[in-house]
Amino acid sequence: MFKTLLQKSFKKSIWVYHTNAGACNGCDIEVINVLTPYYDAERFGIKLVGSPRYADALLVSGPVTRQVLPALLKLYESVPDPKLVIAVGSCAAGGGIWHDSYNILGGVDNVLPVNYYIPGCPPRPEAILHGVAVALGLVPKKISPVVHKEEKIAKWMKS
Amino acid sequence: MLLSKLKQAWICLKAGRVTLPYPFKPLSPPEGFRGMLDIDPNKCIGCAGCANVCTPRAIVVTDTDQDWRRIDFYLERCTYCGRCEEVCPEGAIVMTPVFEMATDDKQDLHVSIELYMGSCGRCGRCFTPVHPLDKLMNTGFREC
Amino acid sequence: MQTGSQLIEALMSKFGAGIERWEEPSPGKVFLTIQPDILLPVAKDLLITYGFRFLVNVGSDEVLLNGMYVVSHIFSQDRDRLFCCVRVPVNPANPVIDSITPLISGANWAEREVRDMIGVKPKNHPDPRRLILSDDWPENVYPLRKGFAYDEKPEASPDNRVKMKKPPDGARTVPIGPFFPVLEEPAYFKVFVEGEKIVGCDYRGFYSHRGIEKMGEDVLTYNQICFIAERICGICGFVHSTCYCEAVEEAAGIEVPPRVGYIRTIMLELERIHSHLLWLGIAGHIIGFDTILMQSWRIREPVMWLCEQISGNRKTYGMNLVGGVRRDIPRELHPSMLDTLTTIEKELSAVFKAIQGDTSLHSRLRNVGVIPKDVAEEFCVVGPVARGSGVDIDSRRDHFYAAYKNLDVRVSVHEGGGCWARTLVRLDELFDSVRIIRQALQDMPEGNIMAEFDDIPPYKEAVVVVEAPRGEAVHYVMTGGDNRPYRWKVRAPTYPNLQVVPDMIQNEEIADVPISIGSLDPCFSCTERMIVVDRKTDKNCMTGQDLIRLSREKTKKLKMRNTH
Repeated sequence: MFKTLLQKSFKKSIWVYHTNAGACNGCDIEVINVLTPYYDAERFGIKLVGSPRYADALLVSGPVTRQVLPALLKLYESVPDPKLVIAVGSCAAGGGIWHDSYNILGGVDNVLPVNYYIPGCPPRPEAILHGVAVALGLVPKKISPVVHKEEKIAKWMKS
Repeated sequence: MLLSKLKQAWICLKAGRVTLPYPFKPLSPPEGFRGMLDIDPNKCIGCAGCANVCTPRAIVVTDTDQDWRRIDFYLERCTYCGRCEEVCPEGAIVMTPVFEMATDDKQDLHVSIELYMGSCGRCGRCFTPVHPLDKLMNTGFREC
Repeated sequence: MQTGSQLIEALMSKFGAGIERWEEPSPGKVFLTIQPDILLPVAKDLLITYGFRFLVNVGSDEVLLNGMYVVSHIFSQDRDRLFCCVRVPVNPANPVIDSITPLISGANWAEREVRDMIGVKPKNHPDPRRLILSDDWPENVYPLRKGFAYDEKPEASPDNRVKMKKPPDGARTVPIGPFFPVLEEPAYFKVFVEGEKIVGCDYRGFYSHRGIEKMGEDVLTYNQICFIAERICGICGFVHSTCYCEAVEEAAGIEVPPRVGYIRTIMLELERIHSHLLWLGIAGHIIGFDTILMQSWRIREPVMWLCEQISGNRKTYGMNLVGGVRRDIPRELHPSMLDTLTTIEKELSAVFKAIQGDTSLHSRLRNVGVIPKDVAEEFCVVGPVARGSGVDIDSRRDHFYAAYKNLDVRVSVHEGGGCWARTLVRLDELFDSVRIIRQALQDMPEGNIMAEFDDIPPYKEAVVVVEAPRGEAVHYVMTGGDNRPYRWKVRAPTYPNLQVVPDMIQNEEIADVPISIGSLDPCFSCTERMIVVDRKTDKNCMTGQDLIRLSREKTKKLKMRNTH
């Protein structure tokens, strides 16, 4: 139900505020790359805005450090509802290489409610475009979990 | 000054329209691109070499039972360095050209393999596939 | 011309008894262990008499080896290709050391960092506040001590906030931080203004401190650290991974095949090209020329595709391993590489000619953010910032690494010290990088891409510097047992460059602050972020949009003035 509501609310173009919560800048550059002539996100109406108060979606990159936490929470509160939080990159999705370091609180979902994840290190600009399209409900997602258990051989051994 | 502005305008016009047709046309990355992992559970022998070299420690090996070894791949942390593919002796891990991995559920990025293994006669922990020939039963030759 | 042994002889004859031990494991790299009371005279001698330059301090917990904390001061001399690492043992029962900041201001942050991470307090330091650890980190918990586990998370302690400076009388505060529209890393500048002029500045950074060095010592192995080093910075990552690998190879005495040096050189220069083009775009965006942003990033894109073809990823190449590289650059790729380089060179010349005659750009950039040569040397700045102020240093020519010994590097130095001089330095380097890559592709010898070697011997030290697009990156490695280093220290090039910001923006207009800080190329980070916070009764606070708008309005004003 929330999904249909989101899709109805975002029928027009989506405005995005990008923030770096302690990342290495790799993902941030790919986000800016999405605006450059080769990938051109602006033809879909996606715009990077300068203030969180105008934004519909928050693009967060980087693992969350202890120092940046209060500022990030304040930022989240200043984005008006309805809003989307998209975690860009492996660091934001799950903490990346530093998920258990002493100054890191893990991925962004340990701190904010994340709606969509775009993994990659850094994710290609095409992957970010695809991610925003999935968030808007324009395309279905392409991956699913894999679980495998060797039942056959266990049964054969036990027989 | 006006001349430099004209030169700048000329550079923009000369470049023309360069926008790639993605997402309206599919895009395939160059050969050798390090994208999403594809793990073949039938080839895996449970050696945990990949877990040893994984930099973000996204591959976790747990021996749940005396005969069972579970290998979990937490691919939301994966940095796509490709060391696991290099180190795997059986070629069970392959890096595919897939880069469209956006999802709303982190569970989509988890791969879990449980292997039935033989255990050491002395300490009781698993360390090998049950018998090398039994592995062949699974990967080829005969259906059973 | 002085060699390492001559330097040791000269120092021994002067300080004899105070020097406990000396060694020169590789030619030109001198490691001295001295007693703490002669630190200041030795440092003074090195800096003034022998013309050394301060690089960084390394605080190391060697209690398990020799019962002491050791603070190593690393100096380098470019003319004679020397490094001198002065190790000072400090008693853990009384961890205090003399501060060398009064001698050279560039040591300011390095000593504060040692205090935060190991707990060795610098005596007579002008500004001993917390630098790196977060505001809620408790006192007396030092992460780099061996007793602290890398994943230990101490309880938050809310009353350890760093005390920022107060503004002088009559001045207004403009808090700038931590998030900014034109996406940079978070950091916090507190700028004091009187009217439009800046009268002071304070800085609180290190929002992106991720505990890399601790992870390198505790949980990652030698080969895994190559990948984490690459993610220290998303723009100059390959520099850090090369520097680390070369440091371990030097410490362990591993001889890499010559082809490896050439492959590393080519990737380093490709990285320099993409980084400078990136900077050009962002600088253009800050002053209001969005055309430059779009065009320079359009020119940059083929470099990213080329790197993806060679290494498998657009930015994090993942090609370095200790002892060599993982992927080769086959001969079939050479034609497409040379084509891309020719196209880039042609388009770059067009852009350069177009902006060279643009007088509005000149007036916007020429006398803005000026760093005089003596200030640049006092703060030990590096990279294009130093070369734009007339300081002639470049690690590619002064301290060889990779294949630079056999290649001809033309170092571009401009006087002037302002943003325009730094822009010219970077543009010159772009053209030079294209030439170096062509030469390297032609001269690359055949051979292996990975060296064969035995186990790495423990407790050997090495220091290596590499010229990143932003300046000189320094890595110090002491190898350890257990397949990981005992101590790994990284000094990024922006570290000394940021320390000069308060001096640089003094007496400038507030509208010039974005481009001044942007011209340092602070690893694409920590320039301005704006919180709409109203600290004082004067409610006239500025947002990030306001500062960018001010910056662009000034450009418009200057344009109108020039056309009349």
